[in-house]
Amino acid sequence: MSKKHSVLLKEDKCEGCTNCVKGCPTKAIRVHQGRAWIKEDLCIDCAECIRACEYHAKYTETDELEDILKSDYPVLLIPPSFYGQFSAEISSAKIKTAIRKIGFKGVYDVAEAAAALSRKTLEFLNNNTGSYISTSCPVIVRLIKLQYPDLIDMLIPLKSPVELAAEKIKKELKTELDINADIFFLTPCPAKLTTVDRAIGQKESFLSGAVGVENVYEKIYDLLGGITTVEIEKNNMIPLATIWGREGGEESILKSWQEINTISVSGINVVKKLLDEIERNNISSEIKYFEMTSCFDGCVGGVLNVINQYQAQFNLEQRVNKIKKEIGRNEISLEDKDDEKYNFYLKEEITADNFERLDQDFKKAMKKLEQLQKEIEILPGLDCAACGAPDCKTFAEDIVNGRAVRTDCIFMLRKQLGELANGLSQMANELPPVMSTDKEENDDS
Amino acid sequence: MSKQKLMEKEIESFDFQSGGEASSQLKNMLRKLGVDSKIVRKTAIVTYELEMNVVIHSEGGRLKAAVSAQELEIDVIDDGPGIPDLDKAFTPGFSTASDEIREMGFGAGMGLVNVKRYADKIDVESSENGTHVKVIIKLVN
Repeated sequence: MSKKHSVLLKEDKCEGCTNCVKGCPTKAIRVHQGRAWIKEDLCIDCAECIRACEYHAKYTETDELEDILKSDYPVLLIPPSFYGQFSAEISSAKIKTAIRKIGFKGVYDVAEAAAALSRKTLEFLNNNTGSYISTSCPVIVRLIKLQYPDLIDMLIPLKSPVELAAEKIKKELKTELDINADIFFLTPCPAKLTTVDRAIGQKESFLSGAVGVENVYEKIYDLLGGITTVEIEKNNMIPLATIWGREGGEESILKSWQEINTISVSGINVVKKLLDEIERNNISSEIKYFEMTSCFDGCVGGVLNVINQYQAQFNLEQRVNKIKKEIGRNEISLEDKDDEKYNFYLKEEITADNFERLDQDFKKAMKKLEQLQKEIEILPGLDCAACGAPDCKTFAEDIVNGRAVRTDCIFMLRKQLGELANGLSQMANELPPVMSTDKEENDDS
Repeated sequence: MSKQKLMEKEIESFDFQSGGEASSQLKNMLRKLGVDSKIVRKTAIVTYELEMNVVIHSEGGRLKAAVSAQELEIDVIDDGPGIPDLDKAFTPGFSTASDEIREMGFGAGMGLVNVKRYADKIDVESSENGTHVKVIIKLVN
């Protein structure tokens, strides 16, 4: 099933409040007739509406585990952030064994590819002038395509760790074992799910699907107790690059190798502020790399995770410290001959999504813009969202685009009603008297 | 072809909180008009620099923008005290900004240099009564 987005609405649960409308960073939601509508073109799958909804009416539809397991050879990729869901005391081998017991034929760490990508990123930054933005968080890429198209050139043209891992593993299983594997991703967020159907910078994704952490967590947890003699796999150690799961992880790896100026921010609204500053040239060109994640704290803050992000962040750090002790090293090696097996570069150009344009024709757009200014002046400017749009300016745009009428605003409606009432009373007074007023008075007396 | 007024916005002296609002507003308008994103970026840089010049160096002023299908005209006018030496103002690295301003990350002496770099045409008139910077940005080649 091909779908545009993974954030959906449970209609029966939506109360028609405007919490999600106001919280949406791209103003993609409107409430009409008591329920919320997501404008698909503008949705970037950031999941802020899922966070904002008190009634749990917004949800993510990931693939069902049963369906995934129908594949002949299902393989699951684990993101670094997933280890934040468990205490560092529980060995990674045990967690992976539990996942195999669920029915996955192979379990791999995305962190391996994340380490390789970090090496490639450093090489890229050293060989290119200019400043670059990480493309690993799909929400950020979509945000830039939609609202900061002039910064598209700054997106580093490298695949995300998940895609790199999926491509490599799929190919290896085919060439070495002649297995046609289906690669699935254990996702902490709806955005990664959306990239399965709408890949970024490549024709199509190497993933066959994705399942939310919340959909498998309980199953894994229940199985953990029953695992006694863990079959120690060859790959039992998880990579140090697991630190990628939280904000600043990517940055810290780059900095462990070389002095490099980077900025790392998380949380979509903070990211937007930074992008505004970059756009107006207010960030010095000495900064070579920007790590940006839509979820606060990075992927450990993804909405599909089960454990709260604060504990998850702690767990992840503990686990990374444990790995460092086990391998007796603090840094990831700067060279790995396995890196040759990855196709790092994005093949397709990342293009702008310009949905803000009022009209294809400049003159018509200009007219609409004028009308828009007028509407903004007329509207009360309270941004109450009672009309179903997040603020008066957006509402004005909806009016100009023919998607709303002025009287959807309760203040404008009230004003119009008042005028109408005045008009009525005025009209009543102007009615030709049937009887002379004198006579009425006489009758009364 | 005659230009149509797009916006006019007052800029307060030393108001760092709202500094940048005029340029953001103009940027959003251009995107609504469907102007090419590279030109929008140029405009954002130019107007932000000019707006901050008013905030940092002047006693307040205003930013006006007018547009035709061919070009965008931006006028940034302030009420003084004027630029003492225009040639120096266009020298990279030259700045009259105070240490305090520099500590805020401004005053690198690249303001007008950058404006000139990104604008298709620039005219500056300055006296102690104020400065008027007129910039033209072409919307079509």
